[in-house]
Amino acid sequence: MKPTDTWDTLVAVIRETFGDDTLAIDSDTKAADVPGWDSVAHVGLMIEVEGRFGIRFTTGEVAGMNNVGDMVEFINRHLQSKA
Amino acid sequence: MQELQSAWDAEDWPAALQRLQHLALGATDHRTMASLGRWARRLAEHDHPEERTEVRVALLGNATTTFLTPHLKLLLSAQGFKPVIHEAGYDTTAWECLQPGSDTASFAPQVAVMVRSPLAVKDWPAVTATLEEAQAWVQAYVDQLLSLFEAAHANIGCDIIVDTLHALPLRPHGHLAPRLPGDRNTLIRGVNHNLADRAPEYVFLHDVEALAADNGVRRWTDERMWFQAKQPMSFESMVPYVQSLARHIASMFRESAKCLVLDLDNTMWGGVVGDDGVAGLSLGPGDPVGEAFSAFQDYVAQLKERGVILAVCSKNEDANARAPFKELSTMSLTLEDLASFKANWDPKPDNIRAIAEELNIGLDAMVFVDDNPAERSLVEQTLPSVRVLHVSDDPADYPGMLDRTGWFDTPRISSEDAARTRQYQDNTQREHLREQHTDYEGYLRSLQQEAVIRPFEELHIDRITQLINKTNQFNLTTKRQSRSKVEERMRSDAYLTAYVRLADRFGDNGLISVWYGNCEGTRLTIEQWLMSCRVFNRGVEQLLMNYIAEQAGRRGITEIHGTYVPTPKNGLVANLYPSLGFQPVDKTDNDSTEWVLALDRYEPRNVFIETVDECQT
Repeated sequence: MKPTDTWDTLVAVIRETFGDDTLAIDSDTKAADVPGWDSVAHVGLMIEVEGRFGIRFTTGEVAGMNNVGDMVEFINRHLQSKA
Repeated sequence: MQELQSAWDAEDWPAALQRLQHLALGATDHRTMASLGRWARRLAEHDHPEERTEVRVALLGNATTTFLTPHLKLLLSAQGFKPVIHEAGYDTTAWECLQPGSDTASFAPQVAVMVRSPLAVKDWPAVTATLEEAQAWVQAYVDQLLSLFEAAHANIGCDIIVDTLHALPLRPHGHLAPRLPGDRNTLIRGVNHNLADRAPEYVFLHDVEALAADNGVRRWTDERMWFQAKQPMSFESMVPYVQSLARHIASMFRESAKCLVLDLDNTMWGGVVGDDGVAGLSLGPGDPVGEAFSAFQDYVAQLKERGVILAVCSKNEDANARAPFKELSTMSLTLEDLASFKANWDPKPDNIRAIAEELNIGLDAMVFVDDNPAERSLVEQTLPSVRVLHVSDDPADYPGMLDRTGWFDTPRISSEDAARTRQYQDNTQREHLREQHTDYEGYLRSLQQEAVIRPFEELHIDRITQLINKTNQFNLTTKRQSRSKVEERMRSDAYLTAYVRLADRFGDNGLISVWYGNCEGTRLTIEQWLMSCRVFNRGVEQLLMNYIAEQAGRRGITEIHGTYVPTPKNGLVANLYPSLGFQPVDKTDNDSTEWVLALDRYEPRNVFIETVDECQT
């Protein structure tokens, strides 16, 4: 998967999870910027992302994603170590 | 999923909703559930939940319940209810139960579900605890739960479903664990036993210990998500959890399947009795296939012991079909275990319909098991409401496949359940008696009926609640009620209540009718009136009306009001009120009909039932 693919897929998953097709997302977007993205919703999002990419985050990653940019980085790291 | 999409494209909303319901009840993984949830939202505007029975469920927990709610809503809808779900919020159980007027109390649920994870336990004793110390800890843990139940019962006034604790995947003490009273899994088992022994009647256990074991304890939890958000189980485990919870709730507010209709050849034994003879059949030890059929019979016998009615429907000569029951010592079931026996060459759907009529139960209360796919498919097509088990071609699979349907799940067993087969056999004898009498009155006289009519009593609350929640045909309002609410009516001075128990020369029918009404000044409004279909046309409703009139008169009531709320199943009682002398009241805007009786104009009905203090049989 190319980096742009990761980005596009992730944005789609986030929009789907929070039920907003037009949600503006960039790499600095944080949970606090998105209505409904609390610590519980975060779990739901993590499970969706894991399922979509076929990866498994560590507990530290789940807790330590400060913004969408971090998320992309973690995803790509897992995808690389799988390859 | 494809069929769902096609129905959507064709804008065939009923078909789409039906497909959604079917897929939801069969869903086993999280992604499917999530996707069906999105479909449910898309189809919401075409759904008509108001046509279904409402169930109000509060979710309480020592863990996060957020992700359970949408799944539960979807599955309860698929089970045929209109679910209204209230989430109390993470770890607010104590407050919600103890505080009168809490959000949960205001929500007025019929049932509160206490989601409990062993991961939330913080005060485990040391593994070196003595037996006494461990037992004291277990006792204290359950004490605390019991006081929450009591508070919830008093302040919220609902029934309670509580999770048993699942085993922990960690086994730091290995195979020594079972011998250590202070081992955490040993303690968990202790809690579950203690809870089962001590929980009051209005508490229903949801056996998550068994569920997690069945699905794999190691996969049951996702510790990362527990640490992150106190998510009590992995997303994959949520699906079997919610499927099981929805079935459990459904079984409290609806009739479970009652009757198991069994084929014989290659279903109950190996071989064809007409061809192979009794001696040539495979059943019992010494032959692995025979043992598999025995195991199935044993499973069926266990269902029968707790009140599932058994019937046979076989293409056979009657004498051939009965022979193994009489001659084969390896049979677990006897002819006495069977409430109906149809061995002939008529089409099976006709026989199943005849069994339903004979036993006076609905087709939707019947489960059919047959090894022959052609027979199964004929029954499915002809009688779509009968539940047909698609067994594999290996008899060793039969018990497990039937077990996993949960079709016979029931929240409790009443003494009526255990005696049911005998009661149905008594009915067969009554039928014979009726055939001997040319006039119905003569038949009723010859039955020598005796009835006990009394206001509700604590001892009978379970059976009364069961009848209220499961009676469909003779039921004027089909208003489902929790045990707690029924108890409230029993204690309230504003209510007149009555139950009827009926016996006759063939045996005791048990508690078969329930009635209550609300008194306001000189006006009595009937809220519930229902009767088991086993005793239709025996005069019980007239007897009860006489009793109501008498009791109402004593209280100074002058007018009795009643409502008939039509459902697809209760057409039988559409004219009950006029037949008892009630006059119609101007029709309201819905389908219900309202009736009123001026008490001074009521003439007691003639009945052939003697009212007694105790049934003799």
